[in-house]
Amino acid sequence: MSDKSNGKVSQNDKKRLSSPDVETPMKRVKTEDGDDSKPAEYNKYLAHWETGDGGWDSKYKGNGSGFSDRLPKGSPLAHFERRKTTAKQAFEAENGDNNPFTGEPHSQQYFNILKSRRNLPVHKQRQEFLDLYQKSQILVFVGETGSGKTTQIPQYVVYDELPHLSRKLVACTQPRRVAAMSVAQRVADELDVTLGEEVGYSIRFEDKTSSKTMLKYMTDGMLLREAMHDHDMSRYSCIILDEAHERTLATDILMALLKQITRRRPDLKLIVMSATLDAQKFQRYFYDAPLLAVPGRTFPVEIFYTPEPEKDYVEGAIRTVLQIHAGEDEGDILLFLTGEEEIEDTCRKISLEVDELVRETDCGPMTVYPLYGTLPPHQQQKIFDLAPPPLKKGGRPGRKCIVSTNIAETSLTIDGIVYVVDPGFSKQKIYNPRLRVESLLVSPISKASAQQRAGRAGRTKPGKCFRLYTEKAFKEELIEQTYPEILRSNLANTVLELKKLGVVDLVHFDLMDPPAPETMMRALEELNYLRCLDDEGELTALGGLASEFPLDPSLAVMLISSPEFYCSNEMLSITALLSVPQIFVRPAQKRREADEMKNLFKHNDGDHLTMLNVYHAFKGVLNRGEDARTWCHKHYLSFRHLSSADNVRAQLKRIMETQGLRLVSTDFNDKNYYINIRRALVTGFFMQVAKKEKDRVYRTLKDNSQQVMLHPSTVLQTEYDWVLYNEFVMTSKHYIRTVTGIKPEWLLELAPAYYDIDSWDGQKDVKLALKAVADKMRRRAAMKGGH
Amino acid sequence: MASPNNTTTPAGEEEDDDDYMNMTFGEEEPKTETSLQRRQRLKREGEIKGRVKSKAELAAAEREEREKALNQSLLDSARAKKSKGFAMMAKMGFKPGVALGSADSAEHARLEPIRPQMKEDRGGIGLDSDRKRALNEAAAQSEKRQKVDETEFRDRVRREREQARLERQVYAAMKVCERMDEEEQAGGAKTDDGTKESTATTEKKKRTISTRPLKSIPVVWRGLIRNREEAERDRRMRHDLEQSSTRLPTYVDDLEDDDKTALGKTATAYVPVEDLEEEDTELEEFNALEVEERLRRLVEYLRKQYKYCFWCKCGYPDETMEGCPGLTEEDHD
Repeated sequence: MSDKSNGKVSQNDKKRLSSPDVETPMKRVKTEDGDDSKPAEYNKYLAHWETGDGGWDSKYKGNGSGFSDRLPKGSPLAHFERRKTTAKQAFEAENGDNNPFTGEPHSQQYFNILKSRRNLPVHKQRQEFLDLYQKSQILVFVGETGSGKTTQIPQYVVYDELPHLSRKLVACTQPRRVAAMSVAQRVADELDVTLGEEVGYSIRFEDKTSSKTMLKYMTDGMLLREAMHDHDMSRYSCIILDEAHERTLATDILMALLKQITRRRPDLKLIVMSATLDAQKFQRYFYDAPLLAVPGRTFPVEIFYTPEPEKDYVEGAIRTVLQIHAGEDEGDILLFLTGEEEIEDTCRKISLEVDELVRETDCGPMTVYPLYGTLPPHQQQKIFDLAPPPLKKGGRPGRKCIVSTNIAETSLTIDGIVYVVDPGFSKQKIYNPRLRVESLLVSPISKASAQQRAGRAGRTKPGKCFRLYTEKAFKEELIEQTYPEILRSNLANTVLELKKLGVVDLVHFDLMDPPAPETMMRALEELNYLRCLDDEGELTALGGLASEFPLDPSLAVMLISSPEFYCSNEMLSITALLSVPQIFVRPAQKRREADEMKNLFKHNDGDHLTMLNVYHAFKGVLNRGEDARTWCHKHYLSFRHLSSADNVRAQLKRIMETQGLRLVSTDFNDKNYYINIRRALVTGFFMQVAKKEKDRVYRTLKDNSQQVMLHPSTVLQTEYDWVLYNEFVMTSKHYIRTVTGIKPEWLLELAPAYYDIDSWDGQKDVKLALKAVADKMRRRAAMKGGH
Repeated sequence: MASPNNTTTPAGEEEDDDDYMNMTFGEEEPKTETSLQRRQRLKREGEIKGRVKSKAELAAAEREEREKALNQSLLDSARAKKSKGFAMMAKMGFKPGVALGSADSAEHARLEPIRPQMKEDRGGIGLDSDRKRALNEAAAQSEKRQKVDETEFRDRVRREREQARLERQVYAAMKVCERMDEEEQAGGAKTDDGTKESTATTEKKKRTISTRPLKSIPVVWRGLIRNREEAERDRRMRHDLEQSSTRLPTYVDDLEDDDKTALGKTATAYVPVEDLEEEDTELEEFNALEVEERLRRLVEYLRKQYKYCFWCKCGYPDETMEGCPGLTEEDHD
């Protein structure tokens, strides 16, 4: 099998090398631009349909496009005129007995949902929306949570765009994968179609669409990846950027791109949807686009501040929750905390305290649910369970308390919340180019964020929000808006994407909030060291290839180079394992047992290899058909994360295959098996290397080097003077996590540009050490040559 | 060219490297360090190197390093000129000090990267600034106090010493007054009765003085007597309390009267002055005066009453007090 793939690969390899990707994008842009701007071509479908009245059906059948199959005979949509429809027309079409898109009779559930849909605030403004939409190319839509914008607006657009005629899709982006999936499911139900057919979704590592798809929910990152091969986004007739106020990296880039594309493609419509009233900024950015605001269905929320700052915000939060439970009327509680561990811990404490409260007073029962991103979906689902009933008839009502990260701030809507407890912190990613460290830090939220949190209390009835800080602190210490992600991220990946997207002038690229120049400088520098960009800043063949992978450039480069080290199969596994959350489970009460189990998989050369051992063992269990879930549980491993790593690996493997990269392994019994893997790791991680200073104390290399400790979780013993690490953890102390020992010779050999001794401006002792290594290598080479 | 020794400590400090160089090409004597000295030096260095830093020290060092790195712009340093990233940006028209992005966003675009803020405890929002403010206030206050202290410390000490000295002089002056008074009374008695043993009279006089009403004593030295009487009374009361507390209330003192006299337990041994318990506003007023003033009045009183100069330590025959340089201490220097 490997022979076959080898043959195929080398061909593709040649192709890749002979036609660098750098040039093609520009050409592609031009041709497609031409296509789209020709009104005749564009109108062909429309004109045909207008006159044809049924005739179009047979004509397009031969086309093999499958579009005609989608509009059944007698569909009310047949009389619709694209971008000229009215709310009334759509209203009647929706009321029909048969589905206007599939021709199937509508289910009872459809009519039930339809009724509730028509109660949504946004429904009243459907005509107003259509008027503005049809009139303007770009529209800014503001709808507070609960207005129904995410589910309804794309459907309104579909009824007006008639994607089956324009042969172009409607896309709606979401910042989060879970949201894209769940909203797509909901909208498929609302339209009474099967998910993955007329309505689908596309997220990283999962594409649930078909040729029938007309409305596609997708993560903003996916749309960006598509744009890399389709610079004009010519597949789409309308793009809806939802939750734009969250200002994710991908949404910001998409906004800048679409700002350009809408100039090139007058037929492309753009809707920017935001949940906050900060929408003027979007308006201004998009050439003063018209704005439509729909009020959310919200009730007033009373806000309480503490008279004094809290000494311990977690203690304060627990106390507040208990006070609410003991003294306030019926209604559920939502408490915002920062991370998994803190949340689990707090849930336990609240539960214990409530038990005591119930024993001692006439308090009602309270169930406590944690909620965070890495929680398994079936447990996330629990937050929608109803509050428990009173303990006895006529007793005080029970309530539920949800302790959540800021995912409950905007993305998840939980009805029944009346009380919000807001300590004012969230975990935020911060990248600083001076330190070259990206880390998750507990940081104060913004005023906008605090308002958003408070708003969660007013979904079902008037609510209360308890802020665990003083009003003065709110006014003086909180920033107005959360910093958009683009200001807080390492931009290596973004710069690579932009290059691939054909953006030439990165410096003047019209972003809504341009990043600091130093961040851009670092990104370019890193890409240059990774050989993704040449010295002129042009995309290299390697860079073009790396951008095909939905990975950090360093991981992508590592994966691409792995066949040279005869370990691409293993590097695929390691890359997949590094792309999912921590696979080792370490429950607070069973740390020792968990560590013992981890030792079973331990590889002395480091954590990467240990993880690989786990993965191999996991695959062994799967292949033998044993119960992997039980096996994982027994070995303190996360079945969910291992499975998702397996899934990611399959996706990456597919990309490797399509890019013609060989999938090879060194014989397991070869003494170089692990050495090859470690050397391959160096090709991606040579910029994340630390050298030992003392026992367990290391120092990162090059400019602005920092003293670091080995993270307690590492299996690596301290016999290595040089290590590479996956993650720099910045807390009150600096740690490096997921560490593997390497040899300095490899650094000089595999990353000569970065470890160029003559231009070395890092620590002197490292320079001397490298010099000694270089001398040794030269001597060895000379000896070999001499013999 | 390099010997196998090379592998020992390539990471060592520069000095080590020099030593090693010296040793390899050791034609010249490695200075004058004896093996003993060398061993000691190495041991010392080893101790310094080998000392395990405390967690707090490590954290502080890390923090310092981090802050240093965070404060240094990548664009300022000489490194920027060498950086390929910088060169690429320059090619796209970037100039240091100008933000990225279009001209529209220039006003709000960032020039500096966001600074990471480490949160090391669970203090709520506003607690840090609250603490900082409190700390600043305390610091400002203590600074102010310190300044005051520096300028006035010596003054204060000197003043205190001076006051104590004056208090002693007041006491001495009052003693003089008492003695003068006794002498005068004794003198008066002599003139009255003629022959009587002086010791006996003084004994007797003393008792009369001590038992005569305090108010009859001039206020300037009444304090002396009053204090003495009060001390005596307190001593008695304490003594009585001790006696009674060791005995049951039913205890009957069956000592003979003679024994009592012999033991000094006669009832006459102590008679408190009659107006001891009364309030003495005159004396209080006098005592409230500054010590200088009290001394001045005492000195004046002695001169007027007894023609005695407290500073000359002698009496004068007549009112003019010829030979005394003046009223104040300075006059007598």
